[in-house]
Formats: sequence, structure tokens, C-alpha cells
Amino acid sequence: MFIARSEYDRGINTFSPEGRLFQVEYSLEAIKLGSTAIGVTTSAGTILGVEKRITSSLLETSSVEKVVEIDRHIGCAMSGLQADARSMIEHARVTSQSHAFHYGEAIKVESCTQAICDLALRFGESASGEEEESIMSRPFGVALLIAGYDENGPSLYHAEPSGTFYRYDAKAIGSGSEGAQAELQASYHKSLTLPEAEEMVLKTLKQVMEEKLDANNVQLASVTKDKGFRVYGEEEMKGCVGRIEGE
Amino acid sequence: MAALSSYSMSASTPTFSFQQPPQTSSAAGGQTQHSFYPYTDNGGSTLGISGDSFTILAGDTRSTSGYNINTRHEPKLFRIGGSGPTHKNARIVLSVVGFAADGRALQERLDTIVKLYRYQHGKDISVHACAQRLSHILYGKRFFPYYVTAILGGIDEEGKGALYSYDPVNLKNQYEPEAAQGLGKPQLVAKPLDRKTTEELVRDAFTSAVERHIEVGDGLQMMVITKDGIEEIISPLKQD
Repeated sequence: MFIARSEYDRGINTFSPEGRLFQVEYSLEAIKLGSTAIGVTTSAGTILGVEKRITSSLLETSSVEKVVEIDRHIGCAMSGLQADARSMIEHARVTSQSHAFHYGEAIKVESCTQAICDLALRFGESASGEEEESIMSRPFGVALLIAGYDENGPSLYHAEPSGTFYRYDAKAIGSGSEGAQAELQASYHKSLTLPEAEEMVLKTLKQVMEEKLDANNVQLASVTKDKGFRVYGEEEMKGCVGRIEGE
Repeated sequence: MAALSSYSMSASTPTFSFQQPPQTSSAAGGQTQHSFYPYTDNGGSTLGISGDSFTILAGDTRSTSGYNINTRHEPKLFRIGGSGPTHKNARIVLSVVGFAADGRALQERLDTIVKLYRYQHGKDISVHACAQRLSHILYGKRFFPYYVTAILGGIDEEGKGALYSYDPVNLKNQYEPEAAQGLGKPQLVAKPLDRKTTEELVRDAFTSAVERHIEVGDGLQMMVITKDGIEEIISPLKQD
């Protein structure tokens, strides 16, 4: 496989004769190495959940940040290369604030996702120098789950390094995504409540995580109409984890 | 050029257009000073009134330069947004009075932005968002302003009339249909006018303005914005 592809691996934006962009495909592979992240939409809001990989008992778990705020009404969970996500999120934040500044209204979740995906494709040799704002020499190695609440209600988007994005009711990304997606497919229904969604996210994570799930190695966040984006605190996490363990 | 020079009356008269002659200063040892003034006042008047379920914007259609009438039909009201050059399905109107060229430039810029907004966000811009954007467009040229006084009108998300006024560099006011201003008359309960009364009021206001101001006249352009669309009414005013 390596030998067959190597000729077309050099140019980052070079199509192979079969019409594939290998570097972009490899970046999708990078996500499959990342920790699992799950998003579930309900009529009341969207729940995001991520697995934190605690590689050492000396690691301060609160410093592992995998769910972050983009705007008051938009949050995102990531899987893959954390550092790459930072520039995408920075771009999303600037775009959101700029929209609020210019139009005096909150940006739509889809528009925000589109802005992130516009950035995702600005890589490669031609990117540096000619344009002032293309920074990456390679595709981003991170996928995002973007959750938000706008005039159309709650929504969840999945953005890939290839620059494509889709809207989902429920979506899993990262190393455990295959198993998790199957589990979501089986248990998702439109009439979920927010607490039910919390439980679904945690139970699904529990199934696909290598370590035993506890309140420290997972993180939940929600986006609702009233409270906007909110990362769950320690006590709230304990409560949620306690609920699924009680069963 | 003899005819033109007859317009430049006393030195204290405000000059108009680009026709400033070089000025020879006696104090500075007879040095000739050239100057360029990039603005003209093309005169005219516009007004806006918002009601419960409509907004009316109106303007006269005369365009002047000093004592000249450039044309008797140069509209000051423009549809913003909608699709294509006909602005189909537009729900926002911009009126500009002052320097007509700047007014057109401003209208074209705002229209482009509003149309792009629809492509980028998949929805029509709200009047409020458009008003905020216009404010930034104007302030962005803080040190070489669009020489216009603008009014933006439309229907807000609840179907109520919305109205915004601007000075050349910023948003000045947002008017509520039921707002009342002034001293005294505490017993006067402010309530929005109905459409028929408002249209008559607008006509009367312009008929009077024509009598008092030489740069107002020729035609009255009215745009009535409701949730169903924009109705444009053009009627004659005195041509003297």
C-alpha cells in the first residue's frame, strides 16, 4: 500500500490517477486515532460528550480540554490532533464575533460550520505566500462536532478535514466511532429529553472506552436555548455518571 | 461660461459642485491656491414613518445643483436586497438625501452586501441586521464620509414597522411605531398611525415642503413596505 501510493503522496494537492487526494485521506485516518467524541440532538438542545485519555495518574484532568465554546450559542467537541483544532476554533470564534459586530445578531450554526470548513481546505504549497491567511502546509488532522442553538432550533454538525460537513441527529467521531455510531443508530429517537441524551452519550462512551468510565475521564457539555453553551462542572459530571451507574 | 459665473454670488455663499475657481490670496503675496471639493449637495427631502404593520418612506424626485435642476426624476428611494436587478421579494428600503453620487454608491454597496448575506446564510437579512451593517459601512468611511443622510425602513421579524435614521457617519436613531417625543401634552396617548392617514400625512408634508424649499419638488416617490412586499407610488408635485 505504501509503495503504491508514495508517488502521489509528495504533492499535498496532487490527485492520484484514481482521483484521490492521499494526504486528505490520511488526515481522516488521523481522526480515527483520536479519542471518541459524541453529539446527540434533542428538541431541547444538543449534548456533546468526549472521552479524555488520562495517560498518567499525575495528569491534571481538568487541563484536557476537548469541548470548547465558539460563541455563546455554539460549542464544539474535537477528535484528532488537538493543536490543529485550535486554529480552526480561533477562526470560528473570530467569524462569530465579526458577524455579531457587523449584523448585531448571532451567527447561524450552519454559517459558522461553513466558515470552519472554508479554512479546512486552505492548505498546500500554493497556500503560503500568495494568500495572506493560509497557514497550513497539510490538511488539519482533526474532526469537529459543532453543536449550536439558533433560530432554527438545536443542531449538530460534523466537520471533516476534507472540508465537507453534514448535519446529524447523533454522531460519533474518533477511535471508538464505529461502535458508538452503531449504538447511537440503535437507540436514538426524536423524542429524547436532555437528561436521556446525557445518559445515551455516557452509556455509548462507556461501551467504546478502553478505560473504565468515571466522572474524571469524560466531559459533557450542552447547548440549550436559555443557557447557551455550557461545559458541565465537576459536581454535575458526578451526578450524570452516577445516574448511569445506578442502573 | 458667462452663465455659470452668474451663480457665484457673494463670497459667503456656500459653493457647490466642482466649479471652484482658483483663489488668489492677497495676504500671501499673490499666491494662487487650487482646491478641490469632492462633494455636491443635490438637495431634496426624504422622510420615513413606521406603523403597526407597515413602513412608509418617501422622497421628492428633483435633483438640483445650486439653482439648476439636473433632472425632475431622480429617485432617492431604493429597494435593498431581494433577487436580481428588480429586487424581487425585497422587504427593505433605503432612502438617501445629500450628495446623489454617494447615495448611489452607498445603495449599491449595501445591496451587494444584503444579497451576499442571503447566499452565505441561506436566509433574508433582518432589518435590524441590515441597519447595524449600514451603520458600520458609514462609520468605515469616517474620514471621507458618504455625504448623505440615510433612512432605512422595513418590516421586522414580528411584522412590525421598523425605521432607522443615520447621519453621514453613523446610526442615529431607531424609531418605534408608538414612540412619542416632545414636551407637554401628557394626556396625549401615543399610538401608531394607520396606513391611509400616514399616506395623506406624507403627501401634505411634501406639498408644504415644495412651497418652502426651492430644491424640493417635481415628483413624490413613496414606498410602502408591508409583509406582502413593497408598493411604490409616484405622484406629481409642483415643478416651480
